[in-house]
Amino acid sequence: MADKIDRILADQISRRDLLKRAGIAGGLLAVPGVLAACGSSTTTTTGGSATTAGGTATTAGSAPAGETIKIGFVSPRTGPASGFGEPDPYVIDLAKKALANGLDIGGKKYNVEIIDKDGQSNPAMGAQVAQELINSDKVDLILTTSTPETINPVSDAAEAAGVPHICTVCPWEAWYFGRGAKPDQPSPFKFGFIFAFGVEQFHQTYVSSWPQIPTNKKIGVMWPNDADGNAIRAALGPLLAKDGYTIVDPGAYENGTNDYSAQISKFKSENCEMFNTFPIPPDFTTFWRQAAQQGFKPKIVQLAKTGLFPSQIEALGDLGNNLAGAAYWAPIFPYKSTLTGVTSKELGDGYEKASGKQWNQQLGPSLSLFDVGIEALKASGNPKDKAAVAAAMAKMKVETPLGILEWGKFPVSPNVVPTTLVNGQWVKGTGKWPFDWVCVDNVEDPNIPTSAKLQPYA
Amino acid sequence: MTYVNAVFQGIILGGFYALLACGLSLIFGVMRIINLAHGSLAVLGAFITWWIVDKTSLSPFLVLIPSLIVMFGVGWALQRGLLERSLRAGILIPLLTTFGLAIVIDNVLLGVFSPDVRSLGGQAGAVTTTSWKVSQQFSISALGILILAVAVAVLGGLSLFLRRTTLGRAMRATAQDSDTAELVGIDSRGVYARAAGIAVATAALAGVFLAIRAVVEPSAGPTQLIFAFEAVVIGGFGSLWGTLVGGLILGVAQTLGAQINPQYANLAGHLVFLAVIAVRSGGILAAREGTA
Repeated sequence: MADKIDRILADQISRRDLLKRAGIAGGLLAVPGVLAACGSSTTTTTGGSATTAGGTATTAGSAPAGETIKIGFVSPRTGPASGFGEPDPYVIDLAKKALANGLDIGGKKYNVEIIDKDGQSNPAMGAQVAQELINSDKVDLILTTSTPETINPVSDAAEAAGVPHICTVCPWEAWYFGRGAKPDQPSPFKFGFIFAFGVEQFHQTYVSSWPQIPTNKKIGVMWPNDADGNAIRAALGPLLAKDGYTIVDPGAYENGTNDYSAQISKFKSENCEMFNTFPIPPDFTTFWRQAAQQGFKPKIVQLAKTGLFPSQIEALGDLGNNLAGAAYWAPIFPYKSTLTGVTSKELGDGYEKASGKQWNQQLGPSLSLFDVGIEALKASGNPKDKAAVAAAMAKMKVETPLGILEWGKFPVSPNVVPTTLVNGQWVKGTGKWPFDWVCVDNVEDPNIPTSAKLQPYA
Repeated sequence: MTYVNAVFQGIILGGFYALLACGLSLIFGVMRIINLAHGSLAVLGAFITWWIVDKTSLSPFLVLIPSLIVMFGVGWALQRGLLERSLRAGILIPLLTTFGLAIVIDNVLLGVFSPDVRSLGGQAGAVTTTSWKVSQQFSISALGILILAVAVAVLGGLSLFLRRTTLGRAMRATAQDSDTAELVGIDSRGVYARAAGIAVATAALAGVFLAIRAVVEPSAGPTQLIFAFEAVVIGGFGSLWGTLVGGLILGVAQTLGAQINPQYANLAGHLVFLAVIAVRSGGILAAREGTA
């Protein structure tokens, strides 16, 4: 009987017809960027009028060319990585307020204009908005954050055009080596600078905090087949093995996989008491529910790349309790922003008040970008001289919410400042939020207070 | 036992794919539109359900009732307001329309709900973590069984509906020849709108189960669309039972692929999909084409 209905529906549509349409569909799916490219950017000029410039009374509208410093800001606001860009409007507002009266550099007063662009989580769009900033807006400085997919194409375009640019929130190896620098050769980059954690920071805080819970030192790992996953497999795996951990690696999987029973049964049969993963957030939720259903309960669950934001933990419900995740910034960091004077605590509280949402790690590095960028412009003596700005960057020392950042000290590359990671754990919230993040390790920066010991997941 | 487990988990996964593909199959069967917004509509349904659950703290399974009614209305309005007009302009326009619609839905969701991931897993209660352990390497999850059962019920129910009810017969008649159907007194516009409503409601049902078994975020739609699409093609276009079979084949292919190497999970599914297309001139599918 069912066949009959099938046929009635099926008879109408020849397979060839379907495939013809499917072909068109496939073609369309491949070009989302074309339509999405109409996305807009917002431009705001802040800053005092040009009345003080040159001592003559002029209005802002008639300020001579070259009186405004333009800063481009690129972060992912839409697309899969849009969670990273979510607090950026708040941070940009803070920076605008601090820059409302313009900047005094070398005895001259400048207006500051911040041009905010969306990289759409997509390398092609990242490159495109960077080109717009460079060629149409003629920016003097580019700040960019969050994932190699956004910052690498922006950096490539800016480096080629000789525009100073500062990056963060991406393992620095992916930015530095990932764009063609070689370990034993001088840095090929003159205009690009980064402050970010690297593999060594993961390694240090992991091996410092994990012994707080006795285990059999067998780590089941889920490292996907993408830039991050493969870099971690190549770099972090051997470091952990050297420290006596056994890595149980079922192999790289594709992002977007919907079933993980093969990996789960392998972890169970190998009796892994620890688990580490660098997945995109939706994949982890799928995996973790299936792991719960199939009875895989390790003692330590160490997340990276996912579990950065409270919403990702809340999505797990009770399964989110006691997951460990390292942080590159938290309100407990005892540092303040040079540009705005805002402390880490004030930054977290201010965001919670303004947005009604819990603080997240992105606030710190985004505000730090402005601290570093504005200091470099000031130190250059002439913010319109791109070579002078880049030269000033190379010997910059500035306090930011992430800590005191100083370029020129890191032996591997003059472009890079590795920043601190502190391991922490998501526990049932005691205040207004469902989960609180507590710091359990501070091996990389003893000034950051720990408030708890690592608790076993199960 | 590992492979037994892999096949079983694949069947469970296939149930989800079939549920997701059901509305795509129906809308193609009746209106011959490839609905590229299907994945985004599923995610929209999940967000509406999440929003109600968040406001009322009711069980997602209870909230399904109002949100499916809302989504039926969305589908109905979509057909009347958008697809009906675009259908008059040839085969390419509806495709472009649904593609544009997907972008609009994704961005509206992003604007309204922010990029945060949302899940209904916690609120769904014990069913998401309950399982029966058959052996060390083989456990049966309650949620998987539930999704599979819902998929079979929805696809079977729709089949019965098409076969036994007046509206179902009207739909089949309209699918076959809408002009002739009108001659015998069928309101083909109304039939199309109701078919679209049902299709969008089943998409929302699948979206809610996606949010229960994993998470949804505003850009999750297109990722899931590809699997739904493959399930429809593997199973045979416009055939509801075929969609169920297609979903199961895709699911099992993925879990068996993962058993060999986790990297082969999605690849194995895509290869099966390509293999089915490649042999279309032979076997059952060719026989079907012959009768067309």
